[in-house]
Amino acid sequence: MIEMNNVSFTYANTEACILEDISLQIKEGECVLLCGGSGCGKTTVTRLLNGLIPHYYEGTVSGSVVINGLDVTKAELYETAKYVGSVFQNPRSQFFCVDTTSEIAFGCENMGLESPLIKERVAEAAEKLNAVNLLGRNIFQLSGGEKQKIACASVSAMEPAVFVLDEPTSNLDMPAIGDLRRTLLAWKAEGKTIVIAEHRLYWLKDICDRVVYMAEGKIAFDIPISAFLEFSPIKIRELGLRSLSMEALHSTKPPSYGAEEFTLKDFYFSMEDIPILSIPALTLPQGSLIAVIGENGAGKSTFSRCLCGLEKGFRGKVLFHSALYGRRKMLEKSYLVMQDVNHQLFCESVEEEIRLGMEGENKEKIKGVLADLGLENLCQRHPLSLSGGQKQRVAIASAILADKEFLIFDEPTSGLDFRHMEQTAKLLRSLQGKKTVFMITHDPELIVRCCSHILRFKQGRVAEFYALSKETEGKFFDFFTQS
Amino acid sequence: MRANVLQATVEKRGLVFDPRTKLLLLIAMTTFVLGGAGQKSGFGGIVFSAISVILCFLPFLLLLAAKRRKAALRYAILYLAMYVIFIFVTPQTRGILNFFILGTSGIITRFMPSILLGFYVVSSTTVSEFTAAMQKMHISEKIIIPLSVMFRFFPTVGDEFRCINQAMRMRGIVFGGKNMSKMLEYRLVPLLSCSVKIGEELSAAALTRGLGGTVKRTNVCEIGFHMQDWVVFLLCATAYFMLILSKFGVL
Repeated sequence: MIEMNNVSFTYANTEACILEDISLQIKEGECVLLCGGSGCGKTTVTRLLNGLIPHYYEGTVSGSVVINGLDVTKAELYETAKYVGSVFQNPRSQFFCVDTTSEIAFGCENMGLESPLIKERVAEAAEKLNAVNLLGRNIFQLSGGEKQKIACASVSAMEPAVFVLDEPTSNLDMPAIGDLRRTLLAWKAEGKTIVIAEHRLYWLKDICDRVVYMAEGKIAFDIPISAFLEFSPIKIRELGLRSLSMEALHSTKPPSYGAEEFTLKDFYFSMEDIPILSIPALTLPQGSLIAVIGENGAGKSTFSRCLCGLEKGFRGKVLFHSALYGRRKMLEKSYLVMQDVNHQLFCESVEEEIRLGMEGENKEKIKGVLADLGLENLCQRHPLSLSGGQKQRVAIASAILADKEFLIFDEPTSGLDFRHMEQTAKLLRSLQGKKTVFMITHDPELIVRCCSHILRFKQGRVAEFYALSKETEGKFFDFFTQS
Repeated sequence: MRANVLQATVEKRGLVFDPRTKLLLLIAMTTFVLGGAGQKSGFGGIVFSAISVILCFLPFLLLLAAKRRKAALRYAILYLAMYVIFIFVTPQTRGILNFFILGTSGIITRFMPSILLGFYVVSSTTVSEFTAAMQKMHISEKIIIPLSVMFRFFPTVGDEFRCINQAMRMRGIVFGGKNMSKMLEYRLVPLLSCSVKIGEELSAAALTRGLGGTVKRTNVCEIGFHMQDWVVFLLCATAYFMLILSKFGVL
């Protein structure tokens, strides 16, 4: 079905060769997992398969990529689109319409199919992917998981022979990954060929037939899944891959308790008369790293916005060092590091950026923070020219220098490979004891690496709060495996 | 996530108009209310002020029909208040105060109906309805595709804007804060960089779904004229007919 012969690729305007002499044969009905650390070239392979390289992302290609008899490096994109359907990483930026039904119909409309047939296909795709309840909705009001489901349905309606997915779970929580898993199983049952580039591996164990591991633009090994599953956790880690199963995870360090505590009071918030958050009082240890978990819509994001004082009309207070902080004071004292850090970098250089919120001049302090976060050499760079991890560190540096007490992270490791995830975990650990850190995350690997406490939300209320230790590990993993 | 004002929801639509009707109404509104076309005195003056009153009343009705009660009520109250001020308070005042009141109430009564109607049109038309209407008017794909992308982009930019605003507030960049002079720059830089990135990903996704092919695109969205469209059409036609009559001096 897919045949890549001696393919090499270099992006335009760069020297470095991204792919070097890749040859890969994939049979019809096979499901192949592409894995490897960030920058290994797996995304490039997916782009070659759906024709975006070289037609959209320009560069020099040698060799041939033949799908179903069509050389996709030469064919027009709309020709390739009939055979290859693509699902991308970011659910926010891959839908073209504003409502779900037209979105699912979008691909078929482009193919110029007859209107009644399109309607049939839309209904069929929605049925197959269990998305009937999502039809006729506004996409902007869907959760990330629901958006990804619509993206899959939209591709599915075009009935391509090959599905290419590029890190589709980066922004998804556990139940949404479960949904995606069912979608892939449905496609597989129909005999479709699936190629998926992914960091998170545990959910693909019984879907994939083959594992292709890439490193530095080459295929390092290409083995059946059964052989891959026999790798020891240590070997998986050496390869820079995420854990294959939850069982391999263990809380790595004893929890540490902050001596002092602070209390959240009257954390109530409703939107259009529907209560979203309701916490009468909650006492938390200062200087701890608290993982905020819970399903989508459990109130995690509302909680973080309230804590940061971003919700006007929020009346809750925080009792901190025997002072009562209101909304405005919390806005001064807390900082939310957003999932898309690009939203919060404003200045022309890193140095200017981190000094923005500072009171007065303190060269020593700036120097110290820059050194702690490994940013010394990047001082004069433009923040938007940095890598994702570096941007995150700049955001943290600016929060520390602005004298913030509470740092809230929204999905700090979405879409990160093992190595970068571990770096972020290390960075967060270094904040322990100095700042109180809240971390909204769906990433159990990150939590066991750095968090001391777990705060679980359910329907706007605190379901449980506990220190993460050998004794409490069980219920923590239960939450992540139940879906 | 909160509902954005500039996006059409399909869930609770209420009365639906054809996009072409809305466009016609928008043109009529700008001609007669915003532009103030027509005679100002005599019998013609009465006719045109009647037309303008009816047109001003329409956004209220349309918003009600589209189940946006809050917006409709706010509009009605503000418009009526300004109208009352314009008619009764302005003659009582003098000097700068008169100038000020006349200015505000005059501008608001003239501009608001058109703005509200524009808001109604954008918020009640889905992208596919819009493209279907454009196709029926035989407008080239070269114009339709960029315009529909623009429609799609409004809510996205709104989302981005909200996030950036929050980030700015957390950094103490607010009106009256110390970095006020740079507020515009700080807002635009991330907005542009984020929009460019989203735009790039969006185009990639659209291309892999076959946008830009040589075959003629189908559109599953059914639009067409119904009773309500004819009523609006008749109203606009009458208005323009009157305008022509008055130009020829008949009225």
